[in-house]
Amino acid sequence: MPWKERYTISDEKSLADDDIRWPQGARCCVGVTVDLSLAAGPDGIRAADLKTPEAEFGANQGLSALLAVLKRYDLKATFAVPAVLAHIHADQIRALAAEGHEIAAHGFKHEDVSALDRDDEGARIVRATEIIGEVTGRRPEGWFSLPRQGDPFAGGTISANTMDLLIEAGYAYMGNGLADDIPHYWVTDFTSRRAILTLPYYYHFDDQFFLMFPRKGTGLEHPDALFKNWKAEFDAQYKRGRHFHMTLHPHHIGWCNRLQLLDDFLSYLRGFPALWNPTGAECARYWLETYPPSSHLHLEPSIWRDYPGSLS
Amino acid sequence: MISQLDRDLTELQQAAAASAARHRRIADFGWPPGVRIAVNFTLDFDSMLLRRLLNEPPMQLAKGEFGGRVGIWRLIELFDSHKVRATIFTPGRACELYPQAIRAAVKSGHEIADHMWEHRVPQEASLEEDHLAKTVAAIEQISGRRPVGTRSGHSAPLLRKYGYIYRSEGSADQLPHYVVDEGGENCLVHLPFHYVIDDAMFFNFAWLGSENAAQRITDPEHVFDIWWAAFRQQYRESGYLNICMHPFVSGRALRVAMVDRLITRMKTLPGVWFPSCEEVARWCLEKSLPPAQAA
Repeated sequence: MPWKERYTISDEKSLADDDIRWPQGARCCVGVTVDLSLAAGPDGIRAADLKTPEAEFGANQGLSALLAVLKRYDLKATFAVPAVLAHIHADQIRALAAEGHEIAAHGFKHEDVSALDRDDEGARIVRATEIIGEVTGRRPEGWFSLPRQGDPFAGGTISANTMDLLIEAGYAYMGNGLADDIPHYWVTDFTSRRAILTLPYYYHFDDQFFLMFPRKGTGLEHPDALFKNWKAEFDAQYKRGRHFHMTLHPHHIGWCNRLQLLDDFLSYLRGFPALWNPTGAECARYWLETYPPSSHLHLEPSIWRDYPGSLS
Repeated sequence: MISQLDRDLTELQQAAAASAARHRRIADFGWPPGVRIAVNFTLDFDSMLLRRLLNEPPMQLAKGEFGGRVGIWRLIELFDSHKVRATIFTPGRACELYPQAIRAAVKSGHEIADHMWEHRVPQEASLEEDHLAKTVAAIEQISGRRPVGTRSGHSAPLLRKYGYIYRSEGSADQLPHYVVDEGGENCLVHLPFHYVIDDAMFFNFAWLGSENAAQRITDPEHVFDIWWAAFRQQYRESGYLNICMHPFVSGRALRVAMVDRLITRMKTLPGVWFPSCEEVARWCLEKSLPPAQAA
């Protein structure tokens, strides 16, 4: 078996704290992802999802309120936008881009692609890329496969082909990986070292798992736990000089008590000097230049062996 | 009807008696002079092996992999900084996946113990032995020592045959105790493990197939409070604590910081001992001969 295929997606050891440098002597990188998807389950966004009060709120007041808070703290975000929503809200999406936020792709309609065949999934990636490109006037550089509240695992659903298809479609980065808390390389072929840069994501910093989770009406509200997780992770990562990120949904975080929570947290962040707040694409460009895979992806020959009676 | 009830009564009474006969408390349990409580920090180094075994989707593998690429290194560093000897329950195959991390743990003096070959105990007896023998060989090869302890459901006769002296699973008693097999033989020291002091119960999404409505979305402060309360109570009792952590869970920066605070606070009290599990097991065996046979 080549390397440790189907057991591991990258090299054996992450970059140590001391080896990480950010631009202009920054101490910590702060990434903000705003997920515009309204999908609750594997079908992705359905017509019914667009007719709910939450959809209305998320596209209007919730989004404006979130943007106002981000602006107050001078933060740029990366918007993960399902292609159908870019098409529906084209003017708003263009306005976001004009304000300096990045528009990244988030599936055709944030559907679960894990059971699709390669051609079908590839065609969806191509079409989603075209739609977003038409709306914003430039090809998206990043692709996200973020989780939905109803998913059985909170990591996002990709297929065995997704990462390779993203490389094929020319994406600079994939926006949500779980194997590190800094940017890292997701290897799709260990022999040829084919890989795509992946930005870190963790569901403990994603608002949707704390706010009326698992669903509105019967879910539980744990804003305190979300706030404490953000703060504890930021403190620890700032000390280490690594990367902090948060994932927000306008229809969740834009609502009164949560908006105040976000405001309080960002106010706390403002007290720390030397933060670098790039968009996903800026972060990816910096990382690919500073830590290119040619010198920073350490793939050693596999020592994995197959045995009868064991997993191969 | 009455005779069926009587049969039930006998059957249940026998089941309870059989279980009771297998568990032996250690009389007049006490720690070495000057020690008030022993705290074992144990790592279940599953990484993505369990995820793979359960055929979970690709992003789950990446989530587990955090433990091998990042988490294990941080936890080793943390334990070293506090001079805590940890026990790393390692699936045999992890020696092939993360040899660098395991060598680093050995170099720092931590114990490498058994956590099954690929995180399962095969039903078939010959395959079970094959898996155990492979794990023993893999751990011996990488650490220079055969494992003497396990966190698994491997059968006691098999474990004794391979020289194991302890098992850390289940919580029949707060203190280390002896458990023999159904035949009253193959005694192992049991180092109690409890889900209340297992990080995955509080932080891991979809642990053991749990539904979304049952998710653990706790913050580290909350868990700090629970674990500190557990420690305080056992400290008063001059007892024992075995804190189980998974590198892909507790290796996250926010939790390493929490465990750092926890150890720092424990160390403010006198008589807190941070040995490996093997040291605790050997202390028990030295202090009181186990039933059935000396290990």
